[in-house]
Amino acid sequence: MPLTRAILWIVAIILVAGVAVTRFLANSETVPAAGGVSQSSSRLAELLGSQRLEGFPLATAPRVFSFPQDHGPHSEYRNEWWYLTGNLDNQDGRRYGYELTIFRFSLVPAPPGESEKAPSSAWKTNQVYIAHFAVTDEADNKFYVAQKYSRGAMGLAGAQADPFKVWIDDWSIQENPDEVTNLPPEETWELTASGDGFSLMLNLASIKPAVLNGTAGLSQKSAQAGNASYYYSIPRLRSAGSLQIGDTEHSVTGLSWLDREWSSSALADDQQGWDWFALQLSDGSDLMFYNIRKTDGTQDRHSAGTFIFADGTSQHLDRDDVVLTVTDQWQSPQGAFYPARWNIELPDFDLRLSVSPVISNQELVTTVRYWEGAVDVVGRRGGQALTGRGYVELTGY
Amino acid sequence: MTTALSRASLGYLLRHPWQLALALLGICIGVAVMVAVDLAVESSRKAFELSMDTLTGAATHQVIGGPRGVSETLYTRLRVEHGIDRIAPVVEGRVEIGGTPVHLMGVDLFAERQFRVFSLDVENDPGSTDLDTEALFSRILTDPNAVLMSRQIAGKLGLGVNDRFEVRSAGGYFEGELLGIVGGDASASAGELIIVDIAVAQEWLGKAGWLSRIDVNIPQEDATLRHAIEASLPAGTQLLEASGRTQSLTEMSTAFMTNLSAMSLLALLVGLFLIYNSVSFAVLQRRGLIGVLRALGVTRQQIFTLILSEGVVLGLLGAIAGVMLGIWLGDYLLVLVSRSINDLYFRVSVTAVTVSPFSVAKGLLAGLGATLVSAAIPAIEAASYAPRLALSRSVIEQRSRRIVPLIALMGLCLGLLALLLLRVSGSNLVAGLSAVFLLILGFALCVPISVRVASAILAPLANRLGGTSARLAVSGIGANLSRTGVAIVALAVAVSATIGVSVMVESFRGSVSDWLDRTLQSDLYIAAPGGSLDAPLIAQLTGTAGVEAFSTSRRIWLESPEGRIRLIAIQLAAGRHPRLELLDAGPNEVWPAFEAGEVVLVSEPFAYRSGFVAGDSITLITNAGNREFLVGGTYRSYDVNAGAVLISRAAYDLFWDDPEIDSIGLFLAPDARADDVAERLRTTLQVHPQVVMRSNVEIRDLSLKVFDRTFIITDVLYWLATGVAFIGILGAMLALQMERARELAVLRALGMTPWQLGGMVTAQTATIGLLSGLAAVPLGLIMAWVLIDVINRRAFGWQMDIQVSWQVLAVAIGFSVGAALLAGIYPAWRAASSPPALAMREE
Amino acid sequence: MAFMIPDTSKSTVQVHLEQLTRGYTEGLQRHQVLDHVSADFLQGESVAIRGRSGSGKSTLLNLISGIDTPDSGQVEVAGRNITTMKERERTLFRREHIGFIYQSFNLVPTLTVADNIRLVLELNRIPKLESDRRISELLAAVELPDRADSYPDVLSGGERQRVAIARALCHEPSVLLADEPTGNLDDKTAQGVLDLLDRLVRQAGRTMIVATHSATVAAFCDRTLELHDGKLAPHQDGAAT
Repeated sequence: MPLTRAILWIVAIILVAGVAVTRFLANSETVPAAGGVSQSSSRLAELLGSQRLEGFPLATAPRVFSFPQDHGPHSEYRNEWWYLTGNLDNQDGRRYGYELTIFRFSLVPAPPGESEKAPSSAWKTNQVYIAHFAVTDEADNKFYVAQKYSRGAMGLAGAQADPFKVWIDDWSIQENPDEVTNLPPEETWELTASGDGFSLMLNLASIKPAVLNGTAGLSQKSAQAGNASYYYSIPRLRSAGSLQIGDTEHSVTGLSWLDREWSSSALADDQQGWDWFALQLSDGSDLMFYNIRKTDGTQDRHSAGTFIFADGTSQHLDRDDVVLTVTDQWQSPQGAFYPARWNIELPDFDLRLSVSPVISNQELVTTVRYWEGAVDVVGRRGGQALTGRGYVELTGY
Repeated sequence: MTTALSRASLGYLLRHPWQLALALLGICIGVAVMVAVDLAVESSRKAFELSMDTLTGAATHQVIGGPRGVSETLYTRLRVEHGIDRIAPVVEGRVEIGGTPVHLMGVDLFAERQFRVFSLDVENDPGSTDLDTEALFSRILTDPNAVLMSRQIAGKLGLGVNDRFEVRSAGGYFEGELLGIVGGDASASAGELIIVDIAVAQEWLGKAGWLSRIDVNIPQEDATLRHAIEASLPAGTQLLEASGRTQSLTEMSTAFMTNLSAMSLLALLVGLFLIYNSVSFAVLQRRGLIGVLRALGVTRQQIFTLILSEGVVLGLLGAIAGVMLGIWLGDYLLVLVSRSINDLYFRVSVTAVTVSPFSVAKGLLAGLGATLVSAAIPAIEAASYAPRLALSRSVIEQRSRRIVPLIALMGLCLGLLALLLLRVSGSNLVAGLSAVFLLILGFALCVPISVRVASAILAPLANRLGGTSARLAVSGIGANLSRTGVAIVALAVAVSATIGVSVMVESFRGSVSDWLDRTLQSDLYIAAPGGSLDAPLIAQLTGTAGVEAFSTSRRIWLESPEGRIRLIAIQLAAGRHPRLELLDAGPNEVWPAFEAGEVVLVSEPFAYRSGFVAGDSITLITNAGNREFLVGGTYRSYDVNAGAVLISRAAYDLFWDDPEIDSIGLFLAPDARADDVAERLRTTLQVHPQVVMRSNVEIRDLSLKVFDRTFIITDVLYWLATGVAFIGILGAMLALQMERARELAVLRALGMTPWQLGGMVTAQTATIGLLSGLAAVPLGLIMAWVLIDVINRRAFGWQMDIQVSWQVLAVAIGFSVGAALLAGIYPAWRAASSPPALAMREE
Repeated sequence: MAFMIPDTSKSTVQVHLEQLTRGYTEGLQRHQVLDHVSADFLQGESVAIRGRSGSGKSTLLNLISGIDTPDSGQVEVAGRNITTMKERERTLFRREHIGFIYQSFNLVPTLTVADNIRLVLELNRIPKLESDRRISELLAAVELPDRADSYPDVLSGGERQRVAIARALCHEPSVLLADEPTGNLDDKTAQGVLDLLDRLVRQAGRTMIVATHSATVAAFCDRTLELHDGKLAPHQDGAAT
């Protein structure tokens, strides 16, 4: 009899404990970690590939360019960039490269309206700015990268045409008030950017006028109407200033290249990425060519370029005008295989060039991962040997 | 140990299932209460700290401005002109969603990344694509309704993704849409936050042009950056360490939680008595068995080992069950604890207890340890018996009779030690609490001797009243001290806790209520929660017929070397001086000087903590930088916030560029009918839905409601402690009656009816209850005094008048007797109904 | 009330047992302790009931005292059938008519010698003065006049049994039941107890039923019954005890 009761008691205690255990387990069950996107950075990256175009104007027809207005922003378009790259030497002949890119995005076609109920916030905007700043140090085999992003409001980031200025925080490309000339189209600009342990201050002066790429500045990127951008370049800007790496300040001189492009489009579905070349040759001519790669690995027929003669005149290049051969590959620490050496032939110009990176690792692991680096050029035009420098951009690898 | 020996032990326990169950239950509940309170307090502390972390994020410093915050252009200047990019702007404030107040945090997602990662949780929506995510990001920036929330708060508000809802804020009513759930790392810390774009926050909170603060991340020892920032700050703006800012808030809540932990220790203490009670009975009851075993040649060592191993098994089983029960119970306590914190300090959201291994280990260890100690004491004694002696019951009582005075002496020493500790420990809170426990312990140790004396005194009295059987009942208590003593102590401690806490709460409530009466002088109060009242509206309201005079107030936070200060700028109603109780100055001198802006007043808790007295100077940061203000006096206050400084509006306007007014108090003309005036005012307020009007009575009631709610947790804890004590009494009485089964059977044989016997047992338990209740009164009053004058003073700086009502004492004693009687029902019934023939049979 | 000398006529039946049956279930086994036991005990006679340990002597005494109830049959004490009484009634009856002495004395340890006796007197509602008188008389009678305020644990076994006898007799019961009254005592002390019983019970003409397996105790009684296999029979000399 007592034994039965004891067993009943033990059963009761076990039951209570069982309930408690169940509750305990239910409570301690961890909430599964959030799947999907875990960083806002990757979200920013997706902005670049967005297909959401409703409401944005498209680049469908050639337009009249006028400067300095077109140096300023075209906020109605979805994306736009100011792309400065350049090759520099210091007083000892040490070789450097730099890139300062400022991207502008419109998140939605129209800027947000005024609030009816409350005083409007100055932070409201549909404009977003992202900037990349990179420096290549050949002698040390180093590549420095910095990145910024900001809303295009509150004076934190923005762009304006007159006086020209595009900036994000304390990085800027702006008209140099000390060196304004009365000789348009010559531009005299000042570049300021700094990263962690490196900074650059350059005075830029264009020594060739702006060149309209594509058809009078309309650069068609795929067969679809409107899948095009407005695109001009200033292929040669004389550059001089100071570059600081670590505690050392170098005074540097060299040549820069400005690419300006705005559109509301992006790559077509079957396009994988592009290889972009901007080469400044020793005979005074310049070559820009972009090779659009399709997802199946073949070359898209909308690949195109511009050849700029020493006098500043230019000629449009079709895909068929340029023969591009990759002769070497490099695997980045991130695992991607990038082409690392090219032969470029322009039969019509009797031009053969061999292009090789100054250093291998000029990959930017930023919101968008891509390779953008200084290159050296050797080749021949006709019977004449020539050299050159330039910048190459490789995306979609 | 031989198996036969362990079988003897197991067999005994199984044959006494009540004993076994009570011992297990005792350990289980003792551990459960401790674990539950521990978990609840720890979980809310963690939630609190996480919330603070969410607010500060990776910020090491913060740029703080004046009353309205930091001008937003400063932020742009820091970034664009000075190139400082380790900064992020924050606009925050309180809004209401569906009547629930929530903390709104406006951030700039771009700058925010370096401080807080609000990852978007898309797991709930498997159909979502990258495109949706991108659209979401874009909408947060561009959609004036876009809101992000943690899963917790969304659940609490009953909102799902894409639901639209009304947001009530200082700026008026706005429409919000829940765009996404903040998940991942941030979900734990996002707590009750709702996150919006900084532009939305500015508009909703009516703070266009202003930032609440700028978060700064200065890498370690980067003095250059700190100096660079400091050099670029305008006057009235400061760079402060983030940890220091949250510290004062944390300190305040720590005091609250320390008090709770003290409660849990109290529960543990009662639990320990219970464990001791149950386990030592289980051992003592087996004297006979032990005597036989010893006679059979079992060594002392073996007896000791046997009992201790039994203790390990019991302790482990009970403690494990206790931990489980505690975790379960902790869930409920947590709701109460976090609600109190929400009411008093800061919105935290904790939906489930985090089971910290530390708390669990602590509970297990305490349960096991207490069981072992409880078993060891009688085990040592049992093992020390000579084989024949072990058979005799009276020897044990004789022994306990001998050591009772020694125990009492020890108790006295502990009491003295406690008083000494109180004297020398200054304002240390932990020392104060330790002293309380020493005091309780010391008192508890004195209880057995008091019981013996009391039962000796009461026995003849009982004899006269109820004859020999009544006397038998009373003297039985003293004679069986080894059983009854512990039960009485447990009940007395539990009841004294109820007295102490009741007196403290009652005194506290009385003082607060009195303070509210003095503070709430106006008839009606009108305020815009989270925002401010604009001048035309104030003019309209104060111009309403029937309004005779009005006062205004503005409350802002200021950073100071003494921590965060609540600066209250008040404009007194013409010709009326507040009835605030001034502690160290005369009202006739102080108020004119105050109105003239010559002096400021400090609240009592602030004065207690910072040591300010009338005549000192206090440094406050004004628009023109730091400035000293003369302290005119200290006023009584039960504000839970760190420190409050009262300044006249005139002086405030002089030194701070902030025209805003939070609330106004309206004094009605003597002949005006309050209802009519209120009606007229209400008509005016119809177009200002964010403005709230309340009468002084309403505010007083609301405040007291919050007060009462805060002490629910206290109530719950002492009911738990009492429950533990109740089980202790039940166990003690059962064991006592079972042990005396033979004696009771003799009484039955001698002709006592079952009713008489039951009555006798009941009289015994009632006496135990009475003795416990009587013992609890002095102990409870000492506890109340310590709680009021030592603990609350040390924790909060509050001072209150001790109010002891006889009802509290009567209820406590009545409760004690009632609990004992209740606990005695079953043992009495059992004693009465067991057939004497069975008990009489020779063993 | 006077300390009355009981009626010495031996013809009256004081305790009448009829077909008493009592058994216990232990585990699955039914153990028949008493099997249709019938007997009469006359006023003023002392009867010894002998039997082996476990033969049912204590059970029989418990049944006679009403502490236990039979499965069947009936017990009449002083002409009243106690088996049909309710528990409370039986207790009140026992309180008045029965005195009990145990092998292990069963004094209440928390009461003094005097209070142990007083408890029974109070239960029988004897006024205090009368109680005091009887207590001192009885303690004198059991030769413990100076131990009134002692607690049982300081007394020797013989002294305790003498207190128990005093307690059993204080309310002048009709029947005194004794369960191995000398079982825990040495021969000399036992003889003292028997002398006391002789004086206070036998010579006072009270009825006494003693359960024992001691030949000395049996010899002391007027007659001896043997309890064997649940049956009660007159003692045969030479039968195993």
